[in-house]
Amino acid sequence: MSGESGQPPAAADGCQADLDLAPTPLLEAIRNEDKTWDKLAPRYGVTNPDPPWKVSLYATCECLAAGEALPSLERRRAEDQLGETLYSGTPAPEQQLLALAHIMLSRGLLSEKDLTRCMNAVRLRLEAS
Amino acid sequence: MQQSHNHDHDDGSHDHKAAPMVDEITDFEVLEIAVRELAIEKGLFTAEDHRNFTEWAESIGPAAGSRLVAKAWTDPAFKARLLADATQTCREIGVDWTEPTGSGTASDYMHLQVLEDTPTLHHVIVCTLCSCYPRPLLGHSPYWYRSPNYRRRLVRWPRQVLAEFGLILPPEVDVRVEDSNQKCRFMVLPVRPAGTENWTEEQLAEIVTRDCMIGVALPRPDRKADDVRPVHKANRPVPSEHHQAEAGE
Repeated sequence: MSGESGQPPAAADGCQADLDLAPTPLLEAIRNEDKTWDKLAPRYGVTNPDPPWKVSLYATCECLAAGEALPSLERRRAEDQLGETLYSGTPAPEQQLLALAHIMLSRGLLSEKDLTRCMNAVRLRLEAS
Repeated sequence: MQQSHNHDHDDGSHDHKAAPMVDEITDFEVLEIAVRELAIEKGLFTAEDHRNFTEWAESIGPAAGSRLVAKAWTDPAFKARLLADATQTCREIGVDWTEPTGSGTASDYMHLQVLEDTPTLHHVIVCTLCSCYPRPLLGHSPYWYRSPNYRRRLVRWPRQVLAEFGLILPPEVDVRVEDSNQKCRFMVLPVRPAGTENWTEEQLAEIVTRDCMIGVALPRPDRKADDVRPVHKANRPVPSEHHQAEAGE
């Protein structure tokens, strides 16, 4: 993976040199889903402004930074880039989640194959009765 | 999970109806879990690291319940009273379940039961119907306690769910899940960890974190509720006037 001690420097304009901005089929399929919290919560009469997984997402970002797998500043820069381009139409918590997955795929911390497999396994587990 | 039933709720509503919730598993929720679990699988951090950061994000300082546990660890007579009548014994540390405490109060009188762990028995609490929680002792419940994921799965697969918090219990330890009911709240009294001999009540209270009293973590001598969060300096900090001024000094 890129990064570690020899992480590539950010480009002069502040953009991440190693960030692939091409759409990812898996994340595109999720992004197009009409299930963002701002649309979902009112359907169920829920007034909490944030999805329940938001705190967990923050903790994941903190853990990735603490372990030096993904420094916070690099993540934030990449989030800004992706938020202004690929995921510009997606609201904040979902945008940050998509951006994190995208950055991790782009840096080789995850593979799309692994992520698809794990999502299938997680959904099966959550829907088990 | 939107059934009506006759008890109060963590959100403080007293209309005797379960608070509405999104009873649907979205791809976003699944993606968040998958990203986290893959990162754990690849060794980027551990499930316990993640639980620690989540707990940090949601709580500050020892809860009233921490003092209750610390006193029970150091005073056998108090512990006996606590296990016999927890609701009454809470008054000895200044928590009256019929009065506001600053971190939540019951809407009507109810019964608290303290669940004592032993080296071979571990308790964990849940509210499968909604989000009932011992707020006067622990403050507001964490987000995951209110999630269908935790509520539905803990009663079916407790060891699997505990492992997702980084707590892997050996097979010789029995796991007992207590489900809050109409007028009953539960709190876990964990086993006092080794290495805390001769500690004061105040020292002990500091290591009894919220998650230990829910039962998804065990107290450790080196882990406090209000530990300073680790700070990792950015590799390439953003230049600012403040930094430039510091550099120029």
